[in-house]
Amino acid sequence: MNRIISCLAVVCLVLGLAVGSQSAAAQGSAPANNQVTPAQGTGPTNNQFTQVDHVDTNWHIDQTIPDNYSLVAENATFKLYVDLNTLAFKVVDKRSGYVWHSTLDQKAADDRLNKSWEAFAKSGVSINYLDQQAVSRRVSLTDSKHTLEVKPVDQGVQGLVTFSDVGITVGVTLQLEASGVSIEVPFDSVKESDPEFKLGLLYLYPFFGATRGDSVPGYMFIPDGSGALIRFSSTTKAKNMLYDRIYGQDLGMIGSVPWDPFVVPPYQASIPVTGMVHGYKQNAFLSVVEKGAAYGEIQVHPAGVITNFNFLTTAFVYNESYFQPTNRAGDGVTTLQHETNHFDVKVHYRFLTKDDSDYVGMARSYQQYLVEKGMLKKTTDASGDIGIRLEFLGAEKQKILLWYSSIPVTTVNQMSTILSDLGLPKADVVYYGWQPLGASSMPPQSLKLDGSLGSVDQLRSLADKVRTSGGNFYLYFDPQAALQGQGGYSARNDLAMAITGKNLAGYSRGNNDYYLNLDALQSHTLGLSKVVFSSGQIGLALDGIGWNLYSDFKSGHFLNRVDAMQKYQELLSQNLGPMAFYAPNDYMFALMKAYYDMPLGNSGYIYTSDVVPFLQIVLAGYVPYYGKALNFSSNLRQDLLRQIDYGVYPSYFLTHEPTGTFLNTPSKWIYSSSYGQWGQEIKNTYQWMNSLLAPVKGQAIVAREVLQQGVVATTYANGKRIVVNYTGQPYSAGGLTVNAQDAVITEAVP
Amino acid sequence: MKKILPLLAVFLALLLLAFPGGRARADSPYTTWAYGPRGGLVITQDAYSPYTEVDLPINGAEDMFVSPDGSVYIADTGNGQILKLKDWQVIATYGKGTLQSPTGLYVDDQGTMYVADAGKNSVFILDKNGNVMKEFGRPTEPLFGKNRQFLPRKIAVDARQNLYVISEGSVDGVAQFNTQGNFIGYFGANASQMSLVMILQRTFLTKEQLSQFVKNEAPSPSNIAIDDQGMVYTVTAGTSSHQAIRKFTIAGKNIFPDTIGSRTFRDIDVSGDGLVLAVDADGQIYEYDVNGGLLFIFGAKDKGEQRTGTLLNPMAIGRYKDFIYVLDKDKNAVVVYQTTAFAQTVHNGVRLYINGFYDEAKPYFEQVLNHNGSFILSYQAIADAYFKEQNYPAALSAYRLAEDRNGYSQAFWELRNIDLQKYLSPALLGILGLVVVQAGARRLNQRTKWTEPAGHWLRGLTRFKWVDDLVFMFRFIKQPADSFYYIKKDERGSLGFAFLIYAWVVVARVLSLYSTAFIFSPYSSPSQIHVENEVLTVLGLMVLWVAANYLVSTITDGEGRVRDVVIGTAYSLFPYALFALPIALLTNVLTFNEVFLYTFTQDLMYVWVAMMLFIMVQEVHNYSFGETLRNVVVTLFTMGLFLLTGYVLYVLFSQLVDFVSTLIQEIGLRG
Repeated sequence: MNRIISCLAVVCLVLGLAVGSQSAAAQGSAPANNQVTPAQGTGPTNNQFTQVDHVDTNWHIDQTIPDNYSLVAENATFKLYVDLNTLAFKVVDKRSGYVWHSTLDQKAADDRLNKSWEAFAKSGVSINYLDQQAVSRRVSLTDSKHTLEVKPVDQGVQGLVTFSDVGITVGVTLQLEASGVSIEVPFDSVKESDPEFKLGLLYLYPFFGATRGDSVPGYMFIPDGSGALIRFSSTTKAKNMLYDRIYGQDLGMIGSVPWDPFVVPPYQASIPVTGMVHGYKQNAFLSVVEKGAAYGEIQVHPAGVITNFNFLTTAFVYNESYFQPTNRAGDGVTTLQHETNHFDVKVHYRFLTKDDSDYVGMARSYQQYLVEKGMLKKTTDASGDIGIRLEFLGAEKQKILLWYSSIPVTTVNQMSTILSDLGLPKADVVYYGWQPLGASSMPPQSLKLDGSLGSVDQLRSLADKVRTSGGNFYLYFDPQAALQGQGGYSARNDLAMAITGKNLAGYSRGNNDYYLNLDALQSHTLGLSKVVFSSGQIGLALDGIGWNLYSDFKSGHFLNRVDAMQKYQELLSQNLGPMAFYAPNDYMFALMKAYYDMPLGNSGYIYTSDVVPFLQIVLAGYVPYYGKALNFSSNLRQDLLRQIDYGVYPSYFLTHEPTGTFLNTPSKWIYSSSYGQWGQEIKNTYQWMNSLLAPVKGQAIVAREVLQQGVVATTYANGKRIVVNYTGQPYSAGGLTVNAQDAVITEAVP
Repeated sequence: MKKILPLLAVFLALLLLAFPGGRARADSPYTTWAYGPRGGLVITQDAYSPYTEVDLPINGAEDMFVSPDGSVYIADTGNGQILKLKDWQVIATYGKGTLQSPTGLYVDDQGTMYVADAGKNSVFILDKNGNVMKEFGRPTEPLFGKNRQFLPRKIAVDARQNLYVISEGSVDGVAQFNTQGNFIGYFGANASQMSLVMILQRTFLTKEQLSQFVKNEAPSPSNIAIDDQGMVYTVTAGTSSHQAIRKFTIAGKNIFPDTIGSRTFRDIDVSGDGLVLAVDADGQIYEYDVNGGLLFIFGAKDKGEQRTGTLLNPMAIGRYKDFIYVLDKDKNAVVVYQTTAFAQTVHNGVRLYINGFYDEAKPYFEQVLNHNGSFILSYQAIADAYFKEQNYPAALSAYRLAEDRNGYSQAFWELRNIDLQKYLSPALLGILGLVVVQAGARRLNQRTKWTEPAGHWLRGLTRFKWVDDLVFMFRFIKQPADSFYYIKKDERGSLGFAFLIYAWVVVARVLSLYSTAFIFSPYSSPSQIHVENEVLTVLGLMVLWVAANYLVSTITDGEGRVRDVVIGTAYSLFPYALFALPIALLTNVLTFNEVFLYTFTQDLMYVWVAMMLFIMVQEVHNYSFGETLRNVVVTLFTMGLFLLTGYVLYVLFSQLVDFVSTLIQEIGLRG
């Protein structure tokens, strides 16, 4: 009986951690008598905050290494054991002795694994293959006829797996590295010898680090928005697994961006990183997809969806089916892509231990990886005032009788006046809609302003002024977008094409777009950037190209996602001018001087439990990041608090004219922007945020702790600590008091 | 394990408490829209952010009642019971074994539960402990209707304990009962929609034939709510989205204005402070003020992404404090939304505004406008506040932005009144002075003929043909018939001047559109006027008339030549050319009180033009009255045929263009 009770207590405790709570208060008191009146608690909690973490060591996971595993490599920190018959491996972290399992050893009674799932859990390699009817089936190493050739390589092994029934071969290389284990599948090793079958998806060690239900305290991290956690729990609200293509869906395969004005699409995964914590501040791993991320799909399974396991993996897409319409009415057939996607795979597991074992440690580890690879460079000053992004709408066009004329909304001189009135020296000024006829026309390939806005000389001298005062001046530019119904590109030669033979179509900032193919994109971008950058004061704020990655199926121009990514990097590294990016993917991090439109939350999947500032911690201390324009915020105070919590600099959209002047144009999405209305607000906000964030400018975030629900402390590398109180009550502890809905900066408690 | 579960549930419920006072921020899966200029929707800041989704031990629940103390009652349809929840924790279940499938639920202040049971087709009244106080089925009163079925689905109860029951398929409206189950009468029936085809069918078909068709019956209301004032609100699915919500006076008259709504509304809720919420089958939530002003539309359907705040199959909606609760039948959960700071400002303003505290509401709405300049409702409220303050100039411009013609007219009346009082006596004196001076001048002229040289010079101008044509135009006022005769005899008028008149008509049309005052203009902003369309329409009509009339006349023994018809038509249009613009200008000093002046002069002008055209046809073609009448009718008919032919050709041609462009695309793709 005693055992049952203690078991209950453990379950409750774990659950308490999983859901996150003022659990200490709740424990012990009789629940039925402890009802909280509505006056005290206004309703249920939500998953848009970080929950309180407790160190809990009262758990156990199997740590044995069966005899069929042999030690194949060892370095200062790790030992790598491999089962040469199945390619399954185990890693021992010598710092803690913790054993990481790549696959499931033994099925338990209530694991809810059927035969196929059991094989999947026990196999290092599984594939989905597609037959000619585009029907997809999954086979795993342990439940199908296969051959396996293993040979040793430096610090690891190489195995060539052939699924004999379908004639598909993949070569997997497993190697121990200083920070963990890497798994590689070079494209050369992928063979499809039976024309009847194509390799669809490749799974590599999907059950790496998998845990049962809530048996281990901890969480999974997914790169959704600023970052999301799924705390381990025995049940989940998820009805199906999360499938999240890294860098979003390939527009080349889906043809057009789904359009629904009533829906805000979920965030796309902008960094190829996932991770798991086994015991807060005890053990964690981070999985970084170093190669092949453009064809990677993050799959997340919280315990309870199908099986009793929490697992997450990145699967790789080699072939997909698509719907080919054959007439205008939309009838058609589902068919397979003609050529297998050509890319190499490299997944790197990085292991963290002790104090680093939380999402902050993961983010820091990823940051370190980026810096080592030269993929993240320091662009932020270590001192001085914080930045602020001020984006101005220049001109928009309207139709008068039969032709278009431009509406000047903010001229160069007006912008200059506004800037001097604000007197914020470190502003990142972005000029949007500067081109002839304004925002809804194609930018020229040289520097030409709309006539009503002023002259290029005026623009350059304003840019000069901004630069010398310590700010930056950017022109907004979307290199990929070919605005529908506009001149400035050749519809026949310049557009990228989907696999269905249609032009790629989407929308941005109120306009419908096609997308340029690589040639056109290169010449447009080079043409403009050469002139813009020529005198060194003006930069480009690049939208689209940082986050939109599409393949092009136009014959003669074929370009897959991996190549597109590389070409974009090459193109933009030729540019010798400052560039800021709107919500870029990781491959642009090396090129950016600033990150714009930093998310403050995530997509809000109901089975996630926390929002965490993962992306912010990765960038903190290296690149300044600015939020979305605060004009459109519905809970201004909450957004500001969150920006302070995350170290996000403020952002505003401004116009000189009231918004009514461009109400009938595509820019009507800017429904609140006039300087007359926002000026004072901006000054106040900046002053407040600067007082809190300036002391930690250019500093990395080293720790973040939820002191109590709704009160968060973020510690920076220079020992400063910012405490944000989101709640409606003042917070005080240890001589520190934070007013309701306020924040303070203090020295970190040693 | 089994023992743990209830304990876990209790534990979970305890954990599910927000930290107090804080407002959640979340990226919404939906955009939020508000009522904007020109009756359209504009995107705006989120009014409600998704908060959470609370899973409940229910099965296909179809109704929910949120009581003022925060308890939530759920009609757990699939399990045949009523649940009472406090802080999302089940604290009681009622009616198990008695109820079969409860689909409608109302709970009064005493905790008495009124249940519409679709399984038993009965209404149950349970006391607060779940004991059955009354059960009744189909009423026996003859008033209920001989062939009417009683299929109770939803229920509401007013303060005087009248039960309002929505019976599925009831065309007579909401059935009203007393607590004894006695049928009192029907309430608030919807009107059936009558299309032209139906009217024709009714006119020409026999009773037997008509009975073959589906009966044209009014759609029955699908849900009901009662506010604190005892006003009954219904939503009707399948009706026009503009009239889907109805609000009834005691007399059963609908006082909810036509507004933007949905065809698939599922439930409606009215809060104590006059905010109306309705949710539709697509997961869109609509919020109105109590007078029917649309505040917000937001919401999104769950397409498998499972994002917080999306809905699968919403059945009921309720409000508690800052939160909206939506019961989702397929999720077996309640989705919770929290009011944002922005919406809070709007609500504060609206609450004061609908209670008549215009001045107090104004600062809130000014704040709203700072955050969204297209939030039309704010201009309305601010305008009303200015009007009350007697700041008429400010009210005038705010009404203009709010596009409220009535308000604008009233403010304008006040302003005009002030001007009239100031300038009326000097103006009258001035006019009197002018009359005296004119009389003096005339007398002087009779004596000295000092204006003779000028008069002579003026008459001399008629040597110029076009001046003569112009002078001729005024002859039509007194002697239209004779004048047309002169045209026919080539004595007066010219083709050149005719075209000048046509051009004049076009210009007058366009200018009058632009100069008609806001109150009387069909356009809210000049940018809505499509000049090219107006010009083409006017020109097209004139060309069609001339062509059709000439063609018809040539085959019906008309004497007129093309030239006669062209010139005659032109001179017939002179009242329009002369008066359209002045009438439009006149509107700038009129208010709705004098609307008759505007419509009357305008009608007069059009009738005059019509008469002129009629006389023109008669004179030019030398017809009798009967022949003229026939000719005019046939001409109009021919014009219609021209238009129809044009339309058919247009459709065919665009098909051809489509075909060719597809062909070119195909060749481009494959070639």
